[in-house]
Amino acid sequence: MIKYIFRRLLLLPLVVLGVTFLLFFLTQRLSPEMRASLYIKDPRQMGSLEEVIEKYGLRDNLFKQYGRWLGSAVSGDLGYSQSANMPVAQAIKEYLPATVQLAIVTIVLVVFFGVWFGVVSAVKKDKWQDHLARFISVGGFSLPIFVLGLLLLMLFYGKLGWFPPGGYSLSTDVAIHLPNFHHYTGFLLIDSLLNGNIRIFIDVLRHLFLPALTLCIGSFALMVRVMRSSMLEELNKDYVRTARAKGLPEHAVIYRHAGKNAIIPVITLAGIQFIRLLGGTVIVETIFDYPGIGRFGVTAAQQLDIAGIMGFSLMVAVLFVLGNLFSDILYTAVDPRIKLND
Amino acid sequence: MTACSNAILKIENLQVSVANAAQTPVVRGLSYTLEKGKVLAVVGESGCGKSLHALSILRILPPGVQITGGHIIYGEKDILQLPAEELRQLRGHKIAMVFQDPMTSLNPIRTIGKQLTETILAHQKCSKLRAQARAIRLLKKVGIPDARKRMKEYPFQFSGGQRQRIMIAMALCLNPDILIADEPTTALDVTIQAQILELIKKLQMQRDMSAVFITHNLAIVSNVADEVLVLYGGYCMEKARCSELFAHPLHPYTKGLLGSLLSLSGEKPQRLPAIEGYPPAPGTPEKGCPFAPRCPQAMEKCFAQLPPLSEQAGHQVRCWLQEKNA
Ligand SMILES: Nc1ncnc2c1ncn2[C@@H]1O[C@H](COP(=O)(O)OP(=O)(O)O)[C@@H](O)[C@H]1O
Ligand code: SF4
Ligand SMILES: [Mg+2]
Repeated sequence: MIKYIFRRLLLLPLVVLGVTFLLFFLTQRLSPEMRASLYIKDPRQMGSLEEVIEKYGLRDNLFKQYGRWLGSAVSGDLGYSQSANMPVAQAIKEYLPATVQLAIVTIVLVVFFGVWFGVVSAVKKDKWQDHLARFISVGGFSLPIFVLGLLLLMLFYGKLGWFPPGGYSLSTDVAIHLPNFHHYTGFLLIDSLLNGNIRIFIDVLRHLFLPALTLCIGSFALMVRVMRSSMLEELNKDYVRTARAKGLPEHAVIYRHAGKNAIIPVITLAGIQFIRLLGGTVIVETIFDYPGIGRFGVTAAQQLDIAGIMGFSLMVAVLFVLGNLFSDILYTAVDPRIKLND
Repeated sequence: MTACSNAILKIENLQVSVANAAQTPVVRGLSYTLEKGKVLAVVGESGCGKSLHALSILRILPPGVQITGGHIIYGEKDILQLPAEELRQLRGHKIAMVFQDPMTSLNPIRTIGKQLTETILAHQKCSKLRAQARAIRLLKKVGIPDARKRMKEYPFQFSGGQRQRIMIAMALCLNPDILIADEPTTALDVTIQAQILELIKKLQMQRDMSAVFITHNLAIVSNVADEVLVLYGGYCMEKARCSELFAHPLHPYTKGLLGSLLSLSGEKPQRLPAIEGYPPAPGTPEKGCPFAPRCPQAMEKCFAQLPPLSEQAGHQVRCWLQEKNA
């Protein structure tokens, strides 16, 4: 197991190199002049374009430039993000926790409701509960996420005013930047509790609701479908018949025996969905003006903030590998037949 | 035959059908009485309805197969009429079952310790520790060495024979009145078959337990059974005391089975080479004796009319040849 984790971590640099090099290569499609002009704030400085190119070595060959970026990245310097007006490393530190928080809340909801609906759907196959669960999940699946997001925004914010967009209210923004608010973890949901401030906790939760719900409905359908078919398959297996034959109560047969086996493919799916959420909250964060890493990535791309784009992709690559590793480890916890040592 | 005062399980006119448009029958009017402490062997080629009849007793038929008639009387109550909770209390507690394939019959991701103790705890109020101690004792009894340690292991860490031993321990952990064993050795290596068979027989005798022993292999029947019931196409064809059946088989099908036994000792025939042809597919429209297409002695009447099951001195047989003699 330890060996397996170690070997997977050795893979990490390879993936990161691959992804970042590809992106770097793409940014080099812009001419040195174009890239140099990104550094220039004032049109009157135009004359110094050549100076900038010279200073940052923008005409050097691809590998030399990439090597320079990599060298400073390894030493912890990801450059300065023009779009966020702060060093890239600081931007990631500031925006990533909000996204991770959103992704965790979403995936927990997706797994909980997906498994629940899937089990009910399978156990009540072809009864009204099954039809209802499938109708709800297919409905959510067929709506594009931006349409769904806008609909929910119109309903819950525009019409009812229950759940606001954005990351937190102004008062929270002020409160969390006061010196007596300690940022223990970077996750506001946890930090607010650790600081004993329930008001901030509730405020953050309310702002989380709409983006989480939108993402949830998008991922939920697949989860229900996978859980339902996995459950149907398990319910037909011999060991379920054994469990009934030995006189276990029906709920034990369904949850303790069939359910636990059926959840194994769900874990893989949840791992994949979680990673996708981390890199793919872009649309939702934009619609709801949620201050996460996705919104940072979009802004960086729109403004051709190369350092920002590189930092964003580096982070997504790292998360991708770690997320996969995590779901593998979770897998072994559920299925004793899988050993991660070969 | 002594009167039914000793009967522990009574099946009356059991009908099982596949729930399709035609309601294809797969068990047709099966009746028998299982006596206390006795072993009844149910014999027949694969597909003749042995398993479905057994699953009917615990009402654990697969979806799509239904009991469409009859009674199964245990302890003065009809199992087929029991409410869900009473049925649950019966399963595994009074009537237990061992299945054909030990590789798939245990939950792959649950330790065998848990699978054993949960069975005990489902029926008896006792501490987890006591249930575990009992499970360990049982594992030792069925011949699993190092039982205490192996309680924490998963099914894939055991061999096929060991898994079947565990299934037997699980079936016996509440001292059931009746054990139903559905081809418990078919999936195992030949050398292990004999050991498992011996184990079942030993435990059955020690506990004075009644058993329904299902097999397609007549060769092993003489060692275990007190009585034999021959099933064909869902019908009971012949039923007699074991010694009587081997000495004086009356039905041409039984004779065929015994003949193939002589010609093929040691092998385990899935189908019976000594009898030409195949058993009927369920749903084959038929009026007469289901064995008629394969029967060397078939007469015109056999194709037209189903022979009744008649009894003489405890020996039942369903064949027109025997009707003439009577
Ligand atoms: N789940 C099922 N659905 C439909 N038909 C079935 C099912 N299980 C068994 N059958 C049919 O019922 C007949 C009897 O099956 P079974 O009792 O399993 O035979 P066996 O004597 O080999 O145990 C077979 O011909 C089989 O085709
Ligand atoms: S009834 Fe006729 S066909 Fe059937 S077994 Fe007897 S002789 Fe053969
Ligand atoms: Mg069978």
